[in-house]
Amino acid sequence: MHWLFSLPVSALAIIPIQAERPLRVTTDGAEYCQTLVLRLAASPNATAELPRFLGEEGRHLCANGRYRAGIAKLRRALRAATAEQRGG
Amino acid sequence: MSDAPRLPGLRPTPPRLLQSAGFRFALLFIAIYSVAASFLVAVLWWATAGALDRQTIASIRTDASTLVERFRESGTPGLVEAIEERLALDAQNETIYLLVAADGRRLAGNLRDWPTAIGEDGTWFRTRIQHDGGVAEARVHRRDLPGLRLLVGRDESERVQLRLLLTEGVAWSLGAVLIFAGLGAALIRRALQARMRPAVATALGIAGGDLSHRVPLSGQGDEFDRLGATMNDMLDRIASLMAGLRGVSDAIAHDLRTPIARARAKLEESLNTAAGEAELRAAMEEGIADLDNISRVFQALLRIAEAEAGARRAAFAPLDLPEVLRDAAEFYEAMAEAHEQRLETDLPEHLAHVVGDRDLLLQAVANLLDNAIKFTPPGGVIRLEARDTGARIEVAVSDSGPGLPPQDRAQALDRFYRADSSRHLPGSGLGLSLVRAVAQLHGGEAVLLDAMPGADPPGLRVVISLAKL
Repeated sequence: MHWLFSLPVSALAIIPIQAERPLRVTTDGAEYCQTLVLRLAASPNATAELPRFLGEEGRHLCANGRYRAGIAKLRRALRAATAEQRGG
Repeated sequence: MSDAPRLPGLRPTPPRLLQSAGFRFALLFIAIYSVAASFLVAVLWWATAGALDRQTIASIRTDASTLVERFRESGTPGLVEAIEERLALDAQNETIYLLVAADGRRLAGNLRDWPTAIGEDGTWFRTRIQHDGGVAEARVHRRDLPGLRLLVGRDESERVQLRLLLTEGVAWSLGAVLIFAGLGAALIRRALQARMRPAVATALGIAGGDLSHRVPLSGQGDEFDRLGATMNDMLDRIASLMAGLRGVSDAIAHDLRTPIARARAKLEESLNTAAGEAELRAAMEEGIADLDNISRVFQALLRIAEAEAGARRAAFAPLDLPEVLRDAAEFYEAMAEAHEQRLETDLPEHLAHVVGDRDLLLQAVANLLDNAIKFTPPGGVIRLEARDTGARIEVAVSDSGPGLPPQDRAQALDRFYRADSSRHLPGSGLGLSLVRAVAQLHGGEAVLLDAMPGADPPGLRVVISLAKL
């Protein structure tokens, strides 16, 4: 049923975009997971409870191939570490 | 298909549907409704999708400016670190950066390659990006730095989804708007046709020759009822005029047949029986006098017709009404004395603002004085007055005669009306008709009243009111 709604709408919602091949984003794979892990480790507040917890979860997810979720956790860990640093 | 000949130079007849006022009103309704709906959609769009776009652009612009500032403070290493930090802290996973050296070497950012075919420094563009196994859309801004090129952008996947949802809602809403507009237009057309139908049916009935048709009124008191009431007034007036015309024709036929027949009979009798030339001559003179009387009646009729048609209005000029009235009084004073009556006047020296036809006014006043003298018994009093009431000028002739019953007064102003009590007196029954026609020509009216209310006899008072011009 949804195609019935989206068909006329997609025709109306055409957005002019560059017609070249999509640009490849590099922050969605195992390599970037590792970059974030190293960055978190270098952070002065990486051992605080929340950054450490989130970092562990992120590493675990990345190790299981769930890079998107793992990268999100590691980023939240880094934000938490930064916040700790600013707060403390 | 109509076989009616098409006149040269005239525009071709539009299609039947377009000739319908109801249909054109309906089209107007659709147009207004659609414009209003489009305006609403535009405002809604500007406040939602437009706001998101503006927010994204502002965010990118601020981010790019901050990075340029960082480059000025800390050089390339500082800029690289700032980009890496921003990427590392981007929990929403929506930022896009790419910093390349002049030779195309990638220094920082999360785009693998520099896009081809983009503009110079300051360019904004939209592109597709591939991440997490899918393709999304992004808005990107280019800034050039000494020896470096920088791209700053945002993933717009969520915004595109929202925009799609909005577009979808707007599209269906517009569809609903058009359907409702069409329904509303059809209702308006039907309602207009339903309200116009009685007037059309009445007009068709009248056109068919039956003047008794009238537009039925709904009682709502709206524009259609007002139109219907106006049409009915117009039809009443036409019917009254036609009845008057018929009455006048009948009266002319009746009142002139007798004197013509009488004159003819006299002449014929004289022709057959006249003893000599002198007797024949006397009969001919009598016949000529009868024909003169008939001619005078026609002249009076023509004057009334001219006055009623307003044909004499071109001859209007400022006049001294008291002087005109004094002339009339002087002429009729002698006649009143001959009938042992007294003619009194109450006339001001001057009356301002009187513009009219002197001859007709004199004739009207003369008719009134003539009537008054005719109906007032010896020893009676006739009175001629004029006064300025502020809004109008009033001229009144009163007598002490038998007066006229109120029920006869409206008819007394019609042509050829003769009260029963006056049938033995000479006259054509046109005098008061001319008075009324002259009064109406001068923007006023003629009114018949008792000269002495309560007295016996009450006498008659005829008041002519004239508009100040």
